[in-house]
Amino acid sequence: MLKYIVKRILLMIPVLVFMTIIVFTIFFFAPGDPVSRIAGPNVTPEVYESIKRKYGLDQPYIVQYWRFMKSVIEGDLGISILQERPVIDMIKERLPVTLEIGLLGFLITFVIAIPAGVMAAVKKNTFVDYLCMSGTLVGVAIPTFWFGMLLMYFFAYKLRWFPISGYGTIKHLILPSFAIGLTNAAITARMVRSSMLEVLKQDYVRTARSKGLLEKVVIYRHALKNAMIPIITLMGLRLGWIIGGSVALEIIFSIPGIGRLMVDSILARDYPVVQGAMLVLTSSIIVANILADALYAIVDPRIRYS
Amino acid sequence: MITPGSRNGGVYVDKEWVKQQLSEYVEEKEEKRPVVEFLTKLFKHKGAVFGAIIIFLFVFTAVFAPWLAPYEYDKPDSSAILQPSSAEHLFGTDEFGRDIFSRIVYGSRISLKVALVAVGISLVAGTVLGALAGYYGGIVDYIISSITDIAWAFPTTLLAIAFIAALGTGIQNVIIAIALASWAGYCRVVRGQFLSLRERESIQAARILGMSDARIIFGHMLPNALAPVIVMATLELPKAIVIEASLSFLGLGAQPPTPSWGVILDSGKGLIGQAPWISFFPGLMIMLVVLGFNLFGDALRDVLDPNS
Repeated sequence: MLKYIVKRILLMIPVLVFMTIIVFTIFFFAPGDPVSRIAGPNVTPEVYESIKRKYGLDQPYIVQYWRFMKSVIEGDLGISILQERPVIDMIKERLPVTLEIGLLGFLITFVIAIPAGVMAAVKKNTFVDYLCMSGTLVGVAIPTFWFGMLLMYFFAYKLRWFPISGYGTIKHLILPSFAIGLTNAAITARMVRSSMLEVLKQDYVRTARSKGLLEKVVIYRHALKNAMIPIITLMGLRLGWIIGGSVALEIIFSIPGIGRLMVDSILARDYPVVQGAMLVLTSSIIVANILADALYAIVDPRIRYS
Repeated sequence: MITPGSRNGGVYVDKEWVKQQLSEYVEEKEEKRPVVEFLTKLFKHKGAVFGAIIIFLFVFTAVFAPWLAPYEYDKPDSSAILQPSSAEHLFGTDEFGRDIFSRIVYGSRISLKVALVAVGISLVAGTVLGALAGYYGGIVDYIISSITDIAWAFPTTLLAIAFIAALGTGIQNVIIAIALASWAGYCRVVRGQFLSLRERESIQAARILGMSDARIIFGHMLPNALAPVIVMATLELPKAIVIEASLSFLGLGAQPPTPSWGVILDSGKGLIGQAPWISFFPGLMIMLVVLGFNLFGDALRDVLDPNS
């Protein structure tokens, strides 16, 4: 067991290294001259050369990658061209905000998806099941950012229950988290349903029932526990989707998260910030996926990948 | 033929006649060509029919946009600014007095183009790579699958945003970014198919007979591996549409005044309190089109690829 988990975590290293290569290469070969991006269009050749040397842009690709990699390991993601501050500090400010939305979103996902999925599985092929499943079909199709705008219109403009936009209190986070949580709940509910149906077919569920246990106990204490195992891995995989979706929501609700930072930096051509944000986001998603995978093995001792 | 008779609650059933009818039906079914059988199975799904209707309407709108749109998509009209839905302007007008309905009709062309081209490129690239990995195995497989696994670990939207950051905005770059961000799925599926197909006796016989690799791959293996690829492509089309809309919404894709659905949604963002219809209708269209493709794709999977 421990061996498997250690192996899984060690396997993470080449993936992360390869990811840094991809992110570095994307921005290395980006059209446009990075030096004039930093220096502006009107510079003397001497200043141009000195900037080029200062940022090490006169070195070949491999050397530049090596220097990039070394500073990333030291926790240095470069300096923002626009704000002239370390990128890592900017990310440290913004990332927690995005994580707040993400975590609240996951919470909403669970609160909605688990009861809906269990109910659909238990009442398979009844009206309740069809209703839940049609709901998920629509939920999967709704674009998250559009759903966020609908929520904003109804709950902030019409009913005035929540502030329209901004950041500061928990009330500011509810609508964007709900937008992401509810659309994510749609796909999760389908998974819960199919996982639950699989478990309900098992012998031990029949045994529990024939022991005379209450149906509620059988379903929630015995079946659901095991049905949740594949959902854990799914949630690890959904993290990337959640962060991708929160980019647009941060723009709509004017929330200073990392997604907004990234889009603003792309539009301002502040590439070190984009690169740093990409690096932090993708590596945390990769780590989350692998941890979810390892957790899967801990929770379900039957699983052994060779 | 049912005639009044003795049993069955006073209804007499002519058994011979029923048998005859049934036998005719069975024979008829056996004679059906595979395509007909496939379509019969597919359209037994209510979802497939509903999905196909939406897809048809979407494609029809995109193809015949100039005939369907009542106004020019980029013509401002100072006498009709921010009007809600009416008989004259079905979906209302925006802050320049442009007709939202016409803009959405033209916007379907962008969605369709991006989806088809991006999915086409990633499908071909992923399939070829997957076929090479699965057919040759060994070091080729190792290199291709390592890259694929890593590309697969990236979230598609974020990866597309990264490519846009490097390539710059615009529809062309959106297509490239989506294609670059989504080929890995096809590669994994085709590789898996090829690994199992490779062991088949017919394929090994073809090898022994000295058939060229290209002929075995394209003539014998690929046709057998296509079903899951087609299903996957159907389900990737709506994803490409949503990513295009999101990127354009963020200002990273199509630029105004291009009537991309994402651009229209974005133009209504600041006016959502006064003129919610600007953003409401393009979002609704995205939802319907995605729903249509998903329903059709799910049904297609049930029929073509029942094992998955």
